[in-house]
Amino acid sequence: MSITLDFSGKNLAKSKSVNLHYLPAKIDGDGEANVEEYFNNYTREATDLVPEGYRGLVIQETEKPINESSDRQLRLTGVFEEFTYWNYDKVPSNGDTYRQALLLADVADALSKPISEQDLEAEIARNKENTKESP
Amino acid sequence: MSKKATRASKPKPDPDAEGSGKKSTASALKKVLFLSEKLLPKDADDQRLRLERFHHPGKGKEALFVTHPDGQMMELLEYAEPRRSWLLNSEVCSNGRIYMTSPVDPTLLALHHLRKHCAQRAMSLDNIAVNEASTSRLLNEFLEPESLKCVADVKSSGDQKFYKYNQERTLAWLALKTRLVAAILKEKQIHCGHSAQSQNFVRSEKLAAENASNEMDYTRMACDIVGRYLDADLYDLLTGYLHVPSEIQAIVEEKNAAQKRKSKAGKDEGSDSKKIKLNDSDAGARLKSSGILDSDGDLNASITSPTAGPLKERSLTAKEKALAKGAKGTKSIASFFKVK
Repeated sequence: MSITLDFSGKNLAKSKSVNLHYLPAKIDGDGEANVEEYFNNYTREATDLVPEGYRGLVIQETEKPINESSDRQLRLTGVFEEFTYWNYDKVPSNGDTYRQALLLADVADALSKPISEQDLEAEIARNKENTKESP
Repeated sequence: MSKKATRASKPKPDPDAEGSGKKSTASALKKVLFLSEKLLPKDADDQRLRLERFHHPGKGKEALFVTHPDGQMMELLEYAEPRRSWLLNSEVCSNGRIYMTSPVDPTLLALHHLRKHCAQRAMSLDNIAVNEASTSRLLNEFLEPESLKCVADVKSSGDQKFYKYNQERTLAWLALKTRLVAAILKEKQIHCGHSAQSQNFVRSEKLAAENASNEMDYTRMACDIVGRYLDADLYDLLTGYLHVPSEIQAIVEEKNAAQKRKSKAGKDEGSDSKKIKLNDSDAGARLKSSGILDSDGDLNASITSPTAGPLKERSLTAKEKALAKGAKGTKSIASFFKVK
């Protein structure tokens, strides 16, 4: 099985910008709706940027796979730089789980940094010292 | 009864049944993805990114990774809250998840296979797990062979290189990784103590001062984060190497210290403040178990919030507390087996 993110740099440059709202509610349904008519975007306070170093993409699977093992393709339908983050009853803050989860991106960055061989040798030597000192 | 039926007791109306029918197609619809700019396809380049499954040692099963044809790979994480949806232009999207790429060191993933296959003898990479397509793809196409020096002994004969797992180097390497993570946790002022706290409090200066004494909390949290990519037994070795005491021990010790402080300072730090603290930590655990971050989807893990991290022993039952208290002061059983 393989899944391809089926878009090239050209597609990316040409793709349209999407206007996104991240709602604090479960909507049981998908598809077109009278968003313009019923959704009143009364504030810009909640505008949130896509985290630095990332690009926001909306992707779509056009055909549902027939079975688990068939190849799948995800196509690009739009890009975005910012979106509106809504909370049910409070102004978005750093206390939101979403914001806190983003901190993990920095942590993952640190974790994936390569370690130089000198540092490693130094650490091994230091550990040997320590175990010698406290037998 | 039929007339008196309340709204709550009414059988669910049909539209819901339809809804659940629709639900099954929802996963095939639109998804919101934060893609790292490092992976973005260049203008001219016509290659495609792929999603592939590799064995994830921390989960003990396969997980999805985004791979770039040039040999880069990133983990695909999923951020999910129980009640979230998207509006995309004039379209409703019931899948309220955010998918996000997150850098990962392939060496961490390779470690599992090295320990499994190369603990006793040195092997060349193309000979490991020849019948597991995804494993050999990982080892031969995404892994930087140079990076294996940190976790293995390398023997070369002619052009061929053979690797043998080296535990001492691995632990030292993981310890360095843990320190890197601890440093970033500190820099970002991510709260790592065992009680939950309001975000406002985290940002206060008082806490910044208190944090100085919480070195071990950072190390423990960092250890847990690194541990998410390790086999369970290797994680235990790492905590041993770094001398990280278990959280139960730490909580008991802190409590004792607080009691001493209390008896010294009189009623300044009354029992009320402590009660609140305990309640908070319970709430954190409840929040976690209730699954504020549900990852029931087919696509790998969710990004848990750092404060609701992978700590396993967040809330203690009275029994556990009593146990830990009783164990305090007694010698650890491991101390009897040390090499003298």
